[in-house]
Amino acid sequence: MDTERYPPATVAAVEAGNLRRAAAIVGIGTTGYTTNSGRSEWQMAIEAVSTAIADAGLSAGDVDGVIRYRADEVNEAMLAETLGFDLRYHSQVGFGGQSAAAVVGHAAAAIASGLASVVVCYRSLNGRSGTRYGRAERRIATGEGQQLVVAAGRMAPQGAFAGPYGLLAPGQVMALWAQRYAHEAGIGLDELCTALGTIAVTQRGYANHNPDAIMRDKPLDLDTYYRSRWISEPLRLYDFCLETDGAAAVVIAGPDVARRAPHRPAWILAAQQALREESMEVYTELGNGPDHRRRAAELFAAAGVQPGDLRVAALYDASTIMVLLSLEGYGFVAPGTAWRHLRDHGMGPDSPLAVNTAGGHLSEGYVHGFNHLLEAVRQIRGDSSSQVADADVVLMGAAGASGVLFGRG
Amino acid sequence: MDPDANDRTVIVPEETDLTTPYWDGARAHELRLQHCDACAHTWHPPLPRCAHCGADAISWRAAAGTGVVHSVTVTHQAAHPAFATRVPYAVVVVRLAEGPLVIGNVLGAEPSAVAVGQPVTVVFEEIADGVTLPQFALDG
Repeated sequence: MDTERYPPATVAAVEAGNLRRAAAIVGIGTTGYTTNSGRSEWQMAIEAVSTAIADAGLSAGDVDGVIRYRADEVNEAMLAETLGFDLRYHSQVGFGGQSAAAVVGHAAAAIASGLASVVVCYRSLNGRSGTRYGRAERRIATGEGQQLVVAAGRMAPQGAFAGPYGLLAPGQVMALWAQRYAHEAGIGLDELCTALGTIAVTQRGYANHNPDAIMRDKPLDLDTYYRSRWISEPLRLYDFCLETDGAAAVVIAGPDVARRAPHRPAWILAAQQALREESMEVYTELGNGPDHRRRAAELFAAAGVQPGDLRVAALYDASTIMVLLSLEGYGFVAPGTAWRHLRDHGMGPDSPLAVNTAGGHLSEGYVHGFNHLLEAVRQIRGDSSSQVADADVVLMGAAGASGVLFGRG
Repeated sequence: MDPDANDRTVIVPEETDLTTPYWDGARAHELRLQHCDACAHTWHPPLPRCAHCGADAISWRAAAGTGVVHSVTVTHQAAHPAFATRVPYAVVVVRLAEGPLVIGNVLGAEPSAVAVGQPVTVVFEEIADGVTLPQFALDG
């Protein structure tokens, strides 16, 4: 190889094949979370992004990049026009909340490669007063009387091979995961539901300490969990996330900006993105399967840390079963053992691994992963409402579809 | 058939150039799967070419119609009005003898009687004029 014609990359992060400390989250912002915002998603995005920029000690004129979910109703132009951004980089990432960590990875890559210097990422949705993600009507017409309505596309839930059978909501697919998990782990529904209930109750306890959590003032105990109604067996009401109106945003920048930031930067040690099967893995492996564990191992290796080094993680939780599967999928415990880990150790503030310390989607709010990003940053900064000691490295993991490891320095 | 069927909206599958052979099979009371003529791979849902070897030569073949319950959920809260009168109902994922997983319901059994690992056989349910779904019944 001719090293003169192909000189080594000068950016250390690119040379190392990962994003180690090429960029950091330097600002976070949110509207707070409600069930009826009374405002447009556009207005909420403006507030969350503006708050994040101010939190970073920057102004709108410093922002030159925007990365968002393809699913967001607020596009780059709407934001740039109202906030006065002069963009030289903008991009979209598909597949919604699964991409919560991916947008951060894309931003870090854009910064590491020089395409942008200060990047804003955001999610804004009226998830309760507007589009409800647990309902099928947004894809299948309601119809009147005897009318035939069509389930289109190939995806589960809701598509042609799922909708006619009444597989209509993501939560039902997650219930199928849970049932399959119990079978593969060789446990009964009592053991499964105790583990899932522990997740729900623990996250509610964190939310009770979080002034921003929708469920701040509503305690939950295991008895109440068990008495709650089935949504789709073996998942009950309290196994599922909230439906939330709100927006959240992060500002990501390179070392020059991060070193002058008002708050401790959440350095992006490594990021990972996968393309999962569109049908929520109905037709492939569970979130604790070999492909998930391999990708997670690559993520940790790229950051130079081990899962056992972590004291706290933010794990995407559209339902409790996602947390159970992610504990195994990200390599914190062996496949088929997370239920036992939760039985023996839990995931509370004094456990080996505290999980979803702001309450997560189950009890803080459902902003498609972004409130998890914000909590991961708070843990790094040291100002979480349930601060974990030695939070030197924090994972934000979106069920194996994307993940990012943050570090303190 | 559901006794309320005449009063309610029915969700029917979209049929496309790619998927009509599957639904034609159901109308003929056959569960048909795509089969690669080059590498003998079989899969579901349908694809425009073999994802295993890349061949375009695909034929539709009748499956044996047997399988085991891979997973099951009994749904109590309908996410669409068409299923409001159907709750509680069981949705299953079945591992067919040929290998692929398919989604279905179990007919002729209480939802609570369905469990992972049970052997099932395909049956066919006409949900509207000219619209037939492959479904499953518990063996034995």
